[in-house]
Amino acid sequence: MTLLRADNVVLSYGKRPVVHGVSLDVVPGGVGLIGESGSGKTTLARAFLGLLTPTSGSIWYGTHPLKNADMKAFRRDVQPVFQAESLDPRMRVGASIAEALKKPAQERVAELMKQVGLSPDLVIRRPHELSGGQRQRVVIARALAVGPKLLILDEPTSALDVTVQARILDLLAGLDTERLLITHNLSVVGRLCRTSHVLFAGRVVESGPTDTLLERPSHPYTRALRDAVPVLGGEPPAAGRSAPPAETGCPFRSRCPLAVQECEQPPPPREVEGRTVACHRAEEVLTGPAGR
Amino acid sequence: MIEVRDLEVRYGTRTVAKVPELDVAAGECVAIVGESGSGKSTTLMSLLGLLENAQVTGQITVCGVDVRNASPRELRAIRGARAALVMQSPQSALSPTTRLGSLMRAALKLHGRAATRAVMAAAVEAVMLDPAILRSYPHEVSGGQAQRFAIALAVALGAEVILADEPTSALDVTVQAEVVALLRRLRAERGLGLLLVSHDLALVSTIADRVLVMKEGDVVESGPAARVLSAPGHAYTRELLEATP
Amino acid sequence: MSVQTAPLRRTLPRVPDRFAAFGAVLIVLITLACLLAPWIAPYPDNEPRPLEGLLPPSSAHWFGTDMVGRDVFTQVLYGGRTSLAIAVVVLAASALAGVTLGMIAGYRGGWLRDVIMRVTDVFLAFPALLLAVSLAAVLGAGVTTVIVAIAVTWWPWYARLAASVAASVSTRPYVDAARCLGVSTPKIILRHVLPNSLTPVLVQVSMDAGGVILIAAALSYLGLGVLEPTAEWGLMVEQGQTLFTTNWWVVTFPGLAIMVTAFAFNMLGEGLRNALDPRRTVR
Repeated sequence: MTLLRADNVVLSYGKRPVVHGVSLDVVPGGVGLIGESGSGKTTLARAFLGLLTPTSGSIWYGTHPLKNADMKAFRRDVQPVFQAESLDPRMRVGASIAEALKKPAQERVAELMKQVGLSPDLVIRRPHELSGGQRQRVVIARALAVGPKLLILDEPTSALDVTVQARILDLLAGLDTERLLITHNLSVVGRLCRTSHVLFAGRVVESGPTDTLLERPSHPYTRALRDAVPVLGGEPPAAGRSAPPAETGCPFRSRCPLAVQECEQPPPPREVEGRTVACHRAEEVLTGPAGR
Repeated sequence: MIEVRDLEVRYGTRTVAKVPELDVAAGECVAIVGESGSGKSTTLMSLLGLLENAQVTGQITVCGVDVRNASPRELRAIRGARAALVMQSPQSALSPTTRLGSLMRAALKLHGRAATRAVMAAAVEAVMLDPAILRSYPHEVSGGQAQRFAIALAVALGAEVILADEPTSALDVTVQAEVVALLRRLRAERGLGLLLVSHDLALVSTIADRVLVMKEGDVVESGPAARVLSAPGHAYTRELLEATP
Repeated sequence: MSVQTAPLRRTLPRVPDRFAAFGAVLIVLITLACLLAPWIAPYPDNEPRPLEGLLPPSSAHWFGTDMVGRDVFTQVLYGGRTSLAIAVVVLAASALAGVTLGMIAGYRGGWLRDVIMRVTDVFLAFPALLLAVSLAAVLGAGVTTVIVAIAVTWWPWYARLAASVAASVSTRPYVDAARCLGVSTPKIILRHVLPNSLTPVLVQVSMDAGGVILIAAALSYLGLGVLEPTAEWGLMVEQGQTLFTTNWWVVTFPGLAIMVTAFAFNMLGEGLRNALDPRRTVR
């Protein structure tokens, strides 16, 4: 039994759907949700946090759909870690951390700050008096205050300098909570998540063990994503075709170098070599040029 | 294209950037890398005389113009034309009520160039954009399109060198790859010089010829990109490289 | 872990905005003068001396005297108490009502926002003067009528402003974070949304003070507002206007008082807007 699960979730802003029927389980070992802007990843994260109600389908919290669940228990179990800008600019960071505590105890705040590697002397500072990395640690401490079982991490390091990023990832990897990580950054997923789902235009196009997906992608989008990431001392990143997602059939066919007539029919998700992929031509992607 | 000697930028008594030597030749890409607060963006802005309330000393020559002692007219002639600035999010710099085409026409006329439909269409096609984009407003185009349009504008105005401040860090990786490919092509085809400010060492390693590593206002290491990024001589460069995934 | 030096730069005290400071000093001086009127006014309040009517400004009567021989300087000081009190009460009441409803509308959104906004539309449709006329018919003219009439047409502006600011603050990640922590709606509004929305409302309130004084003066001028023997700047202008060509001082000094005060509040507002603008970073 997983703590949190999406079952055929559709999410819309007004009449325009941005997430088209996503199902996924938040399993132990860290789950990554990889997508670029417009993929619907942040919208999906908000639904997982109970901040948005699905148009159809539902988010399950244990054995109950979220809308019938004990929200008090849910808020204790599931906490978000947003970017460092998610601190109230006018509040002292100690007060931000203590906000969730029933009886704001100074010792508990100090304990949480030490847990995330901050000096408790910083409680009286305001966010703008801290560095980006320190702010992100405060955000993590605030989330940990209620003793959550699952952290939903939404781009937790993308605004930070690389050296700071590495330290925050170490901190996150060392916490004994489950993780759902929403990001566009493939290297971060590798650090924190055993399982990953690749989101394109509001649909999961490929899911499976993170290593498998990044080493041998079977969806052309996963492959394009991986090949676009610059590698130290490597070849220049490969540029694909850019076009808006197709309205019908496979959404990626407008950019796909392998698109054929068959792709005008929506590809059903199927099992291919240890992962689930929604592509008619997954075999060709796997056997094609291995990339770089 | 760009020649800098003993540049120092100060706010009051605080030195925020100190660059002893920085040269960009035609067709060359030089990158300044560093983390926030390293002074890399300040250095870039100082080269076009775009810093306010700062004391800038040293010798800055951009396209043959002595930037520090140039008249406002001379500065305007290089800024935006021969030396173009490309920023992180060009959309915020574009007037929201002006179509991209009108903007390009105005810019071309301002710099005394022909602004015919054919010239403008050729300019956007050179960056692989559909000429239909000239009829769009800035908010109707994506971040990647806006960035490519900014580069098209620079090229149409006859830019010889582009000064780019984190030009792709607000973009998705797939779009970043397109913009980088475009910059590389312009460099090869037109001998465009490129001064790139970035925090992304992996990206820099795939495009730059030479690298300056800055930390807290100082250049801690500089040299050919291949050497600096594979056999760094400074502990800070090593730290940056280790943190780069 | 050491604190970086870059963020500290922004915590240095800001150079106080000269405009705001000048406006504030002027307002404090005017307010003090009016409050201390019983001690600093050269003559008692509302003391007619019919034999000394319409004397031009002199060392005995700095601003001259009016038709019934009251010292104009004294009357301007006492009149300021009424005018300023009206402004303070109107603005406090409108801001309280407007911000409360605006916060709820902006944070909750949806139908509740629609309902509150429609209500503000209805109130905005009332012309203040017309409302004052009808109120005066019911309540009779007087300070209360002026205050009620202006406040009723004033608060919807604050409700709209507060609602739009609150709506934008409500989408900030720290509000989402608080919701995810299970913080109750009233607490979220009081702790996060209100403090982060207050700046533009405060700026607007200080800019509006001058406007309220002018409208109150206009109502008194029309005979719908403050009545004799209460001194009020608008009333004094009304009484003095027919004498302008012959005895200019009767109308000029209360008129100047209105102008200077309105100007001072506008400067304060303009200065506050600059000083509190988060986009204006000091390097």
